[in-house]
Amino acid sequence: MVVGLSAAEKVYIAGGIAADIRGDGRGRHQFREFNIDTSVIPQANGSARICLGGTDVIASVKAELSVPPPGRPNHGKLEISVECSPTAAPEFEGRGGEELSMDLSRALQRSFLGGTSGAGAAIDLAALSIVEGKLCWALYIDGLVLSSDGNLLDALSIAMKAALSNCGLPKVEIIGGTSPEEEPDYELSGNPEEFTRLETSLVPVIVTLTKVGKHYIVDATAEEESQMTAAVSVAVNKKGSVCGLTKRGGTGLDTSVLLDMISVAKRHSAVLRRALAFAGLFSSPNVEKRPVSFCLLLFRRLDANGCRTK
Amino acid sequence: MGEPMRRTHFRLSPSQKERLSQAQERCREAAGSVHASAFVNVGDTILVDYENGFLRGHGTQLVDGQLLATVCGVVERVNKLVSVRPLRARYNPETGDVVVGRITEVAPKRWKVDVNSRQDAQLMLSAVNLPGGIQRRRTATDELNMRDLFTENDLISAEVQTLHQDGSLHLHTRSLKYGKLENGHLVKVAPYLIKRLKQHFHQLKQYGVQLILGCNGYVWISAVPPSSSEMEIDQKPADSESRQPGAGTSEGQNVEITRDLRVRICRIANAVRVLGACGFMIHPDSIVDTYEASLSWGIEPRQMISGEFHVRVVEREAEQRSKKG
Amino acid sequence: MDFISPEGLRLDGRRPLELRQLQAEIGVVEKADGSATFEMGNTKVIAVVYGPREVQSRSQQQHDQALVRCEYSMASFSTGDRRRRGKGDRRATELSLVIRQTMEAAILTNLLPRSQIDIFVQVLQADGGTRACCINAATLALADAGIPMRDIVASCAAGYLNSTPILDLNYLEDSGGGPDLTVALFPKLDKVSLLQMDSKIPLDVFEKVMNLASEGAKAVAQFIREKLMENTKQLVLAKGR
Repeated sequence: MVVGLSAAEKVYIAGGIAADIRGDGRGRHQFREFNIDTSVIPQANGSARICLGGTDVIASVKAELSVPPPGRPNHGKLEISVECSPTAAPEFEGRGGEELSMDLSRALQRSFLGGTSGAGAAIDLAALSIVEGKLCWALYIDGLVLSSDGNLLDALSIAMKAALSNCGLPKVEIIGGTSPEEEPDYELSGNPEEFTRLETSLVPVIVTLTKVGKHYIVDATAEEESQMTAAVSVAVNKKGSVCGLTKRGGTGLDTSVLLDMISVAKRHSAVLRRALAFAGLFSSPNVEKRPVSFCLLLFRRLDANGCRTK
Repeated sequence: MGEPMRRTHFRLSPSQKERLSQAQERCREAAGSVHASAFVNVGDTILVDYENGFLRGHGTQLVDGQLLATVCGVVERVNKLVSVRPLRARYNPETGDVVVGRITEVAPKRWKVDVNSRQDAQLMLSAVNLPGGIQRRRTATDELNMRDLFTENDLISAEVQTLHQDGSLHLHTRSLKYGKLENGHLVKVAPYLIKRLKQHFHQLKQYGVQLILGCNGYVWISAVPPSSSEMEIDQKPADSESRQPGAGTSEGQNVEITRDLRVRICRIANAVRVLGACGFMIHPDSIVDTYEASLSWGIEPRQMISGEFHVRVVEREAEQRSKKG
Repeated sequence: MDFISPEGLRLDGRRPLELRQLQAEIGVVEKADGSATFEMGNTKVIAVVYGPREVQSRSQQQHDQALVRCEYSMASFSTGDRRRRGKGDRRATELSLVIRQTMEAAILTNLLPRSQIDIFVQVLQADGGTRACCINAATLALADAGIPMRDIVASCAAGYLNSTPILDLNYLEDSGGGPDLTVALFPKLDKVSLLQMDSKIPLDVFEKVMNLASEGAKAVAQFIREKLMENTKQLVLAKGR
């Protein structure tokens, strides 16, 4: 997204960030209010839509039956991809949004998919296995950016976590073909009450810290992002483990600053995860839309703790 | 059942939604002096007295002898002129309007300016005040140094000079109050919410904040420039010989913005955003009103963009309208 | 396969001449000049309009009328089986062209010379009748943007299965092998703007199906008018004096 700002506006924005009063009154470490709607795509196994200020993204999870990946017969599959719709900006028309889509997809894959051995994935891949070596679930997580006002990565990670929590897998009954040479014969239960839920407690949430001048902020708007010198996106899960890290931008960062940013990201992701849990996303799949709104400004702990800045 | 305030990206708890719809209902009732037949959709027939004759204005078309609307909006009748004004359209320029625009291109002897209209406006080199206010012929050096005056992405305040048939519009900054904008913040709202008043430059001295309400929906909120702290704002549109000093910041001075001032600017900016989101008219009275309300309710600037504040603003407006009506 | 049960009910419980439930919302993307979502049953489409604005590439600028551009995209999760679609998808290109031509006929382009209008249509869920849904959403978005139009464009699809003309096919009925006819019309001017059909049917059947689709489109037009009126009233009365 091309955001043109005059030299005077840039000075004002940087000044605001330094003084801890951003354009909309937020402090450096405050998220915008956001809302989550689940089950917005009834045809999908799980879905969620999140509106974070002017950023609007949808994540959907579709489960298909598939063959386990080679070399890992007792694992299922997980695939993530992101599309930027031209509705978000005219620049995304045609192939315009491709670069950004790839960038976001890769960053999310890094955080959610784990290593080549399948270890460290957001979802326990072994839980997706149905018949070892023959049949497993393949989860396709798709993100769609409908409107953008900065901080797409965080919004997408929250939406994907919500969509996975919302996801219900139909019960698979093996009714034959259990010998090693045969293909398994199965039946899918259509009864929603027999759907299994995914264990999503270890799915990480990504927090992006954007450095503008000497200070760094969370949840940057598109205007603030255009001023960034560097940005660090950290994916943290419930255990406090860092699941993925991306540093963007040309300016180098001191190691101490980097470690600082990681610890700030950890604290924020804890707040976000609590907010998600509080929203009660353990609702049954494909139920009517349940709009839930909550205000992260309630979590004042972060204001008091502030953050060490250079 | 319409979703209240769909365009904004927060949603409300069920009880907040309830309060909001009730407040909006009360606002509508209190406002309701627009006759039902004045609302038209695209393609609707407009009732006209064909015998007495009529003049066809904007937003209408004549089909088979019938007058149809081409946009959704309200029918306006001024003497015999019948037109339909759409609401959420791009800025429709009129001569003499004060606008805030962003330079998109520096072309030979002119700048192209984005003013949220269907075409970019043009600002000719001959239509700007040279630094120092000197009146002289533009030389080749001036042409080469255009970027010294305004460069790409600069924000300026200007006045609409002329409109041409093909829709192109020309601006001028021939008064010291127009020029490059600094030390502040731009907020964008829908143009139809900005009332055309005699004054578009407002100095809110009590807060130390200057407000420029561009007719094109771009609102500039900044610190009061130092040069004009004692001057009065000129009342009429400037002509090219005017030397009245005003709120211009074309000198490029940087005012020191204290934290307090920044908080105030932010509060005003959020007040404008909230009014825009609620669909209320934006003028200095309503902005100051919202500002004071936020202070009296003890709301921090960052909480002004929350759902709760929006609901309270609508409720307050409903009360005020029913008192007036 | 029996698409119509002996009692005269279709697979989803509708009668042959019944439209699916219509839902629409105007103003969903704040940054855009006009936007709307339109739902016909399970088919859900969002249309966004940017413009009229300065033409981005000078070579395409037209001195006497506006340049109208349109892009149709389907989300990977929009169909029953998830499929990752490339941008050069032929169906998407065809639909982009069709929607552009339909809307261009409605817009009074000569009132907006040297400007550009971008219409972006994004399908969130596809369950038959996507073409019609896109056109309806685009109409709402254009009206929201205050772009002058000759008339609104309302669209609906109809087909012929089990020897019965049926209105507003869903995906299953669409894949049933019968004809699929989409019509878009200007309800006030009573003119057809778009007519597309696949498969082959005798002429008298064609007439029946075409009339049915037109009736459906008129019903959709009524819904669109109501939504627009509601939106206009809300905005005007909120604004007050």
